[in-house]
Amino acid sequence: MTISRDKKISYAILTLPSVLIYASVIVFPVLFSVLLGFTEWSGFGTPVFNGLANYRRMLADGVFLHGLRNNLLIVAVSVFGQIPFGFLLAYIIYRGLVKWGNFFQTMIFLPITVSAIVVAKLWNQIFSPAGMFTALVRVIRDDPRFVFAVFENRTFSITPVLFVILWYYTGIYMVIFLANLQKISPTVIEAAIVDGAREHQILFQVVLPQMTNILFTTSVFAIAGSLKSFDLVFAMTGGGPANYTTVIAIYMYLNTFKYYNYGFGSAVSVMIVVLSLGMISVIQAVFRRFEEKYE
Amino acid sequence: MSDITLKNKELAAWRIAAYVFMAIFTFLTVGPLFWLSYSSFKPHVDIIHNMFAFPTGLFLGNYVRAWTIGKLGGLILNSVFYSFFATIITVYLALGAGYGFSKFGFRISKWFYTFFIMGLLITAHSVLVPLFVMETRVNIDDTRLGVLIPYIGFGLPFMVYLATSYIKGIPTSLEEAALIDGAGYLQIYWRIIRPMSQPVVATMLIFAFLSNWNEFVFVFVLTSRQEIRSLPVGVNAFVGGLSRDFGLLFAALVIATIPMIVFYIFFRDQLMKGFAAGSLKE
Repeated sequence: MTISRDKKISYAILTLPSVLIYASVIVFPVLFSVLLGFTEWSGFGTPVFNGLANYRRMLADGVFLHGLRNNLLIVAVSVFGQIPFGFLLAYIIYRGLVKWGNFFQTMIFLPITVSAIVVAKLWNQIFSPAGMFTALVRVIRDDPRFVFAVFENRTFSITPVLFVILWYYTGIYMVIFLANLQKISPTVIEAAIVDGAREHQILFQVVLPQMTNILFTTSVFAIAGSLKSFDLVFAMTGGGPANYTTVIAIYMYLNTFKYYNYGFGSAVSVMIVVLSLGMISVIQAVFRRFEEKYE
Repeated sequence: MSDITLKNKELAAWRIAAYVFMAIFTFLTVGPLFWLSYSSFKPHVDIIHNMFAFPTGLFLGNYVRAWTIGKLGGLILNSVFYSFFATIITVYLALGAGYGFSKFGFRISKWFYTFFIMGLLITAHSVLVPLFVMETRVNIDDTRLGVLIPYIGFGLPFMVYLATSYIKGIPTSLEEAALIDGAGYLQIYWRIIRPMSQPVVATMLIFAFLSNWNEFVFVFVLTSRQEIRSLPVGVNAFVGGLSRDFGLLFAALVIATIPMIVFYIFFRDQLMKGFAAGSLKE
């Protein structure tokens, strides 16, 4: 009996501090946020219940919808850009198709250590009308009057952001794929080579089928990460000009901390979680179907 | 015969394609950072005049001004403070929780653990409003403590995940032997589990330190005093209006980057392990 009591006390000492901090910083605020999403509240006085009004207003707001569209483009670049590029880079290093694989790996992973703010400010200069990209095109095209002004175009102003996202995060996927590739038993590949398999057969028929799980996991990372992207876009464009490059998280930030619509802001943040859960379950369904077909 | 030459040719084509792809990717990755570094030694006029030329001399004026006007020294100290304490506290709390969840066999562990894993999906933005309101109520908004607590809370889910899955793999025999010798559970945590978890602790410390160092939104929203702001938030504010002085801008960005580059040189492998760990199922 005394042992069991001692065990319980030790358990509490070991786990409760984490559980309590986690509950007060994440669990309770999330629940609080869900409730606030059904109210109108400016931070003072009592929140007034207003049902689904916040959600209706959000879905009717062109700025929100444009932000959602930009978020979906970020998701697309992550899933169809970062993941395939990251995989190819990892595969090249893993198969030893280039020398100095270690050097390339170190260099491509390097941006991850740089803060998103620095990355954003650097590329902001590069893509600004007086920036490096403008100067580069002037040299290449021999046209001293060229000005890179993509930010003035509502449809395309997000493209520099998409490019930077690809630039910044592909290294993470490369490292993830490389770690998983290194878990494949080398004998499997040696056997394939002895059997006369060619490089594309090794890639598509030996390696890729073993990677379905990890492709799923990385897709989940990419979706969750894309929908919460804030720091980089915020520091690069602030969502501007005229909300052209806004994303949902920036929309949420501005409504809450600039216009003091705490209830509305909470509803937007709930929307971010709902959207990422929804997209992750779609991806899950797709992969399940894919696996069934494969087996 | 011809089959082998065909195969060799094919492999050569693969290698060439691989080199080209790698070279382009590496150049695009490192090029802008390299350009940023050397341009920071040129005065603004020189940068405008020719954006690609190497500096003609070692002009340090940008650095001197960025350091003094931007008060970057103070910001770096704050970032070191936040990252150091948040990292140490998060990692050791998570290690304790991981030991509890994986070895005690209590049914509630499963609930707690699932709870933490769900936290991986929650973004800082979903809690910003309530957190801000809560911190104002208990008067820790705009204080260092008010920054540290959310850092710890948001670091915990992933760290608990890493710790729990690692400690699960430690054989129980040592622990049982120690119990028979009369050691308490807390002693076992400190004397056996902690030393045996050294590899994962290293990964956790380094990974958590990087995320804490680069954290932006909590300090940005929960503080307003310049004296307690972290490097990313301070640099964001300082650099915001610098489109008229590229030299100063570049110097500030380089200063903000150097600490983590040094960190990367020392801990590259551990960092990569941390990023890969979330996807590896043992």
